Amino acid sequence: MTHAVKFHPGLMLLEQYVEGSLSADVALAVSAHIDLCPHCQQLSKDITNDQAAVLAEQDVSGRDAEQEWQQMLNFITSQPTISSSASTHTDTAPQVASVSVNGRTFEIPRALARLAEKQNKWLHLGGIATAKLPTADKQHVSLLYIDKGTEVPNHTHLGLEMTLVLAGKIVDENGEYGVGDLLINSPDDTHTPRTLADEDCLCLSVLSAPLKFNKGLTRLLNPLQQFFY
Amino acid sequence: MLETTVLTGHHDALSKQKRISQRMTINTDNEPRTGQWEDALTLVALHQDKAAYAELFRYFAPRLRAFGIKMFGNEQQAMEMVQDAMLNVWRKARLFDASRGCASTWIFTIARNVRFDMLRKKQSRKDDISADDLWFDGDYPEQESNSSDSWDTMLMSEKLAPHFDALPPAQRMVMQKVYLEEKSHQEVSDELAIPLGTVKSRIRLALDRLREALDDTRS
Repeated sequence: MTHAVKFHPGLMLLEQYVEGSLSADVALAVSAHIDLCPHCQQLSKDITNDQAAVLAEQDVSGRDAEQEWQQMLNFITSQPTISSSASTHTDTAPQVASVSVNGRTFEIPRALARLAEKQNKWLHLGGIATAKLPTADKQHVSLLYIDKGTEVPNHTHLGLEMTLVLAGKIVDENGEYGVGDLLINSPDDTHTPRTLADEDCLCLSVLSAPLKFNKGLTRLLNPLQQFFY
Repeated sequence: MLETTVLTGHHDALSKQKRISQRMTINTDNEPRTGQWEDALTLVALHQDKAAYAELFRYFAPRLRAFGIKMFGNEQQAMEMVQDAMLNVWRKARLFDASRGCASTWIFTIARNVRFDMLRKKQSRKDDISADDLWFDGDYPEQESNSSDSWDTMLMSEKLAPHFDALPPAQRMVMQKVYLEEKSHQEVSDELAIPLGTVKSRIRLALDRLREALDDTRS
């Protein structure tokens, strides 16, 4: 069952994630990937150290605001500190979170635990089901379940599509993706992802714009677009 | 030159070794050296040490401000971020775990998270992605239960242990009961049949000694 993660976010994406400058939805996909990928865990730790060192290194001479700093310092040190006996606040996110769909239960990464708990409405269409996660961005974040032996209609993207495999396996024209693999498709990519005959798949999907379906009949399936988006 | 390397080096186990040996050989100027901020956080955590905190504050607050101005593009929000982040440093010093990274990394991640949540709140989003969802890997531990244990262990083994042993026995006894067995000052007073004021003064004395000892390793 162990799967070596093969598809990672690029270094620049990781740097922006660490810096906190990615849009929240994209950052969520990166964060969930990191939960599943020891390699990127280490990498993001190193990047964090680097960025912190840059911050600590800055030359800040030349601005004198002694009084303002002193006021802030006095305010802060007049505040109570948390004591060791303070009760640990209740876990908002359970240690191990899971979602159930199509009679199956899947464990999901920590980064998604809190948000996934807030939704339990799956929309089914054929072998595919989606559940939107409650985020407020322009991008749409959802869990996507694909039953075994199912093909997602051929489509292109008007914007960025990120897909993180959370369980099972998915294949498309370009290769095979397992748990932890992060696929990023730009507007230029056309693909037909599908599952294998014997294994279903749960993904996190982040879309920055609606999908456009290319093939014959599916072009008429406008509702399908609503469904994915 | 050397100071810069020391200050910016990575803080994995290997460079920690290097760092310590470098610290022993550098004994000039008043440039901040790696190790200083971890020690300062230790003192804030142990005894809400305002002098140690002020040192941290005077170094990091202006740098966080510069970082904030770069990210927000304005002074007002930058200062709001600085205050929030530095308040967290003061309040949560006990949660700092040196085995997971150095002080500047901890402070950076606090500021990063504060800034992220400020931006999200500004756009009035409640049921939404928060910094806690995105960054977990121990940079900014919220849970105390385990970290306070490992904190004590770290504290005793890495930094303080040798100095702790060198404390006068009466002070060591009080410190052990308060900081390792987590007893209240009153409990210690009852147990040892000494006045409460004596417990407190022994703790103060012991902390002074420990502070001196830590200072010595720095110069």
